[in-house]
Amino acid sequence: MKYLVLESSAAAASCALLEGDKVLGEWYLNIPQTHSQTLLPMAEGLLAACGASPAGLDFFAVTRGPGSFTGLRIAMAAVKGMAMAAGKPCVGVSTLEALARNLTGFAGTAAAVMDARCGQVYAALFSLGSGGVERISPDEALSIGELSARLAQLEKPVFLVGDGAQLCYNKILEEKGEAPWLRLAPPHLRYQRAAAAGAAALAAWERGEAVDCGALEPVYLRLPQAQRELLKKQSGAAPEKGSRL
Amino acid sequence: MVFHTQSPEETKAAARQVAALLRPGDLIAYRGGMGAGKTTFTAGLAQGLGSGAWVSSPTFALVHQYDGPIPLCHFDMFRITSLEDLYSTGFFDYLDQGAVLAVEWSENIEEALPQPHITVDIALEEGDRRTITVTGDERFS
Repeated sequence: MKYLVLESSAAAASCALLEGDKVLGEWYLNIPQTHSQTLLPMAEGLLAACGASPAGLDFFAVTRGPGSFTGLRIAMAAVKGMAMAAGKPCVGVSTLEALARNLTGFAGTAAAVMDARCGQVYAALFSLGSGGVERISPDEALSIGELSARLAQLEKPVFLVGDGAQLCYNKILEEKGEAPWLRLAPPHLRYQRAAAAGAAALAAWERGEAVDCGALEPVYLRLPQAQRELLKKQSGAAPEKGSRL
Repeated sequence: MVFHTQSPEETKAAARQVAALLRPGDLIAYRGGMGAGKTTFTAGLAQGLGSGAWVSSPTFALVHQYDGPIPLCHFDMFRITSLEDLYSTGFFDYLDQGAVLAVEWSENIEEALPQPHITVDIALEEGDRRTITVTGDERFS
């Protein structure tokens, strides 16, 4: 079972080639170049370095969201294109589950948190233990305050992982002064990695969740109603077209 | 920093002076109604940042990108009324790409504007006269 995973849901981009649960190769870049410039050359280079080709793969996988609007679509479009040309199926996995799988082997709870800006985060909770990584709550968009309140009630310790981890950690420390039960995932495990997304993809493949490239879709989480309308209220006070400010 | 300009050419020249002070990641929030000269000012910014491209209003496309030594992304937020609208323009992604962002109708996304940012207020006066007020950090004092 050989598969290529593409990941560009936030600032970094990565790709990994896996065979079963073995990572054959992984390339990772966290530089200010856009994913549209780096992702496909990385995938091409990785396949060449591993002596593999799209025709020899069983499926393609991608983190389907939540994440950056542009980033999600870059990896997804690339995977759809390669899968279509090679006539292979696709697997889309939750970005938050991929993040939690960075912490496979830990014991406690993983809170996968991504910064959705304007005080909002995308988050999901997972239990970590001998059973591996098991989901506790669905992927959600919520305020940092709301997430912080939930974390206090979980089985300890709680590991924060994702590009919203530091944000959330700071918020809780600010409120409580100290939180010895709360831990930041180390920097090399904190961000999305295609290899960990691969572990989520293999599980999805084994559950029979592979789809045709045409059916693969990004998942943009909707913000709570209150936050969605925040700007509408603001714009109500904005001037009509043609008026002076 | 205040400029009194008498023509579109002078407005562009003022913008080139402002461009010389900009750094990657800066965001310019425009204040000024229709016809104030926001697109003209942006054309000057693009020149100052090293792009030779023709600059036009991003009203239809929502964002135009001009590549140069420092890329420039020109947004029109007139039709943006919710955070989800804003998300789907890619605004948050552009913030991280080391470009300068110039945002028309920034009033519509007040809550989402990063702090600090630079404000360019263009006041329409008689004929082609404009008073352009640039506020931000010490670079613009």
